[in-house]
Amino acid sequence: MLKFLAKRLTATVVVIGLISISVFLIFSYLPMDPAALTCGKACNPVVIAANRHRLGLDVSVPVQYGRFVKGLFVDRTWGEGAAKFSCPAPGFGYSFNRHECVTQLIKEAFPVTFSLAIGSFILWMLLGISFGIVAARKQGKWQDKAATAFVVAGVSLPVFVTALLTLLAASKLGLVNPIEFGRWVSPFTDPIGWLKTFYLPWIVLALFSSASYTRFTRSNVIETSSEDYIRTARAKGLSEKVILRKHTLRAALAPLLTLAGIDFAVLLGGAIFTETIFNLPGLGRLSINAVLTDYDLPVILATTMLAATLVVVMNLIVDVLYAYLDPRVRVG
Amino acid sequence: MSGTEMTGRHVSRRLMALSAVAALVVAGVIFGIAKGGNSGGVSKGGTLNFVTNQTQFDHIDPSRVYTGRDIAFFNSYVYRNLVSYKPAKGSAGSSLVPDLATSTGVPSNNAKTWTFTLRSGITWQDSTPVTCADEQYGVSRAFATDVITDGPQYLVGALDIPIATGGSSMYKGPYSKIGQALFDKAITCNGNTITFHLNRSFADFNYALTYPAGSPVKASVDTGDRYDLKPFSDGPYMIAAYKIGDEMDLVRNPAWKQSSDPVRIPYPDKITVRFGLSQDVADQIMLGNSNPNTVDLDALQPANLRSFFSDPSKASERLNVFDPYVRYAAMNISSGHMDCLDIRKAVFFAYNTKGLIKLSGGSTFYGTPGDNPIKPVLGLDYAPTTGNIHDPSWKVTGNAAAAKAFMVQAKSDCPAAYERATNPAKGLFYDLPNTATQQKGSVLIKSAMDAAGIVMKFNFIPQGQYYSTVQDTTKQGDISRAGWGADWANASTVIYPLFVKEGGFDLSQNWGDPTYASFKANVLKTLAMTNRADQAASWKKLAQFAMDQYWIVGTVFSKGQEVWGSKVGGVYFWEPQGTFGFGQLYVKA
Repeated sequence: MLKFLAKRLTATVVVIGLISISVFLIFSYLPMDPAALTCGKACNPVVIAANRHRLGLDVSVPVQYGRFVKGLFVDRTWGEGAAKFSCPAPGFGYSFNRHECVTQLIKEAFPVTFSLAIGSFILWMLLGISFGIVAARKQGKWQDKAATAFVVAGVSLPVFVTALLTLLAASKLGLVNPIEFGRWVSPFTDPIGWLKTFYLPWIVLALFSSASYTRFTRSNVIETSSEDYIRTARAKGLSEKVILRKHTLRAALAPLLTLAGIDFAVLLGGAIFTETIFNLPGLGRLSINAVLTDYDLPVILATTMLAATLVVVMNLIVDVLYAYLDPRVRVG
Repeated sequence: MSGTEMTGRHVSRRLMALSAVAALVVAGVIFGIAKGGNSGGVSKGGTLNFVTNQTQFDHIDPSRVYTGRDIAFFNSYVYRNLVSYKPAKGSAGSSLVPDLATSTGVPSNNAKTWTFTLRSGITWQDSTPVTCADEQYGVSRAFATDVITDGPQYLVGALDIPIATGGSSMYKGPYSKIGQALFDKAITCNGNTITFHLNRSFADFNYALTYPAGSPVKASVDTGDRYDLKPFSDGPYMIAAYKIGDEMDLVRNPAWKQSSDPVRIPYPDKITVRFGLSQDVADQIMLGNSNPNTVDLDALQPANLRSFFSDPSKASERLNVFDPYVRYAAMNISSGHMDCLDIRKAVFFAYNTKGLIKLSGGSTFYGTPGDNPIKPVLGLDYAPTTGNIHDPSWKVTGNAAAAKAFMVQAKSDCPAAYERATNPAKGLFYDLPNTATQQKGSVLIKSAMDAAGIVMKFNFIPQGQYYSTVQDTTKQGDISRAGWGADWANASTVIYPLFVKEGGFDLSQNWGDPTYASFKANVLKTLAMTNRADQAASWKKLAQFAMDQYWIVGTVFSKGQEVWGSKVGGVYFWEPQGTFGFGQLYVKA
């Protein structure tokens, strides 16, 4: 097991390294000049050159990348005199657009995205699995048809539409104040405020994702219910409740675990539409602004690497859990 | 089978119940704890909200802020200058009043030296006095171009400090202190009196000091690049919190004294700016008046704009006025480009101005055809020109026949330019920012030029680096779309930057033209004029000359719209800044 983990961890580091190099190269060779983009109205070659130096773009791309990697392990300093400042290691650089060390920006944005992800994840798993099981057990009946309708509606409505409609409806009903909405509050200091901030985004994301989970659960439960070992369990006189809990669900939900793990990890990387519409200062909004408006390479690099790391790590966790949940995997 | 069904129902009920509980929890959150809202206020006090789709102000460091709206906002609330615009609507708002200084400045040495005396009793938010050294330090920061980016360069260009090879100042700012002695000679302090020594006569230098780049900064609290997050206040409000992408909170500055400030009357107790709101959400706030003490810092989306402006109940919550900007297409008249006057005229007469205006919101919301690089809101310096859009042959939808006549003329007057403009393998290149509107506009332009027999091609440049590209003389095409607004109420900030090489925004590249030398000499002479009426008369003549040379075409005097909630009072359009007079806004009772 340790050998397996060591191999996977090594692969994880290599993958993240390759991703960082790819992102760095892509943004370095795009026909965009960050020094010109941040030049302002009084733009001239002197200002552009000064900007290029300030941004650390006046050296070759390999040197820039080397500085970035070094900053992950040792403190990095910019400027001189009174304007001198540094970002402590592990650092992903400095965002001149936001005047902040990128690691600090990530630290501030991650709790927001985590709050969004964990709440919606719990809600969608609860709804998706519940509806899926009910639909499977009541195949062809109204409960099944209702679940199918829910699935069709859930997957066909894009998040940005449901998010916008939900927010506008809640605003019209006086349930939320759109100006106040989206302010980050910690669940440890103000749990009610935290709930008020996140309940709408949770619902929106859960409605969208739980639809797919309903469909997966339904088909997996139906498929597993027809397996020989389920028939054997029934023949042995086990109650349906026990069969469902101990045998059917265990096998039916195992494939769902992979999906859930990856979905959760992707969500932790930032839910761009949901965060943007609900004005949540999370990783999704941080990264989309860095790409679309700020052209902020250090932020893009950090958020991409974080998202990739989360997916790779979650994959690892899922593999371990999968072996635990599905006895057939262990046998294999 | 029946047993299975029973158990199945039992499980289903549990799951249904579980789901119902989850739904109830959510519903409880919705209906039980989510009720919120705001209450009304009184004329003095309350919270004034601003909303914007932007994630942050471009800059809030006084040395770097450079857009009219942001200047007006921060000059009204957080920092003060030696002089300010009068907080009044109409042309009165363009006049100067003393702010930190006791007067609007005393010029001498043919306006090459300017002296100001600081008012007594002015303090920073930590109650320490604002000193002449702070003023000196504040101005010095603009020279540190490796730290302080984006800000206006008027003071850098005007102070009497030698220029190094390559065009930059020999003074490199207060962080490296390279060339510090040169700067210390250019701005001198004697007690509360500060003297600016300039490299040329600058009759309206005091207007340049309305920019926050000329405001004092306390050296001991300067954090370089990070000063852009929390500048120190000497105004009526100070920054309590600022988180990019989230919110800025301004609260009253306890160290500020009304007796020391003849300009500002701060009404609200608190001012908040919410950043990053989805435009749909922000528009709905304004349309539904759901937060009546709110001001929208952005324009409404086109459909919502029409809806808002056609609603009679919102008549007192909106403004639709001419903004400070002139939109135009600059002709690059350097050799091998638009160096033939006949072809410039042909392009001008072929242009479908009406179609382009309609595309961007029509004459109601976008603007009207203009006859001048100087806008009528500049009052004293504007006079209708002759020719151009007043020419009987000009048609707002374009006049292909008139354009063709000029092309025929061009064929004999400047055959090389004619060949290039009509050869499908060559053609003229028009620079445009790569936006959906400009893409659509290019179709109209091409169609109009085709009708006149002119081959027009387009360079679509990424929006963020549009100006840095077209300002590069080696990269600019033949014609470049642009816009310009006067930096203060004097055409010196229009004619000089737009048509003189050293002005910084001369997209006409006209310095090789035979007429340029005398034109530039007249501009420099006018800049130095201290008699304002004579100066205005001269600007009018120079504007006429620029129009007669067709250095710019397709000119539009553009409009801007502002909207606010029903409980916001004291709203007026502050002409010189092209936005609200923020300092007089209050929350109605």
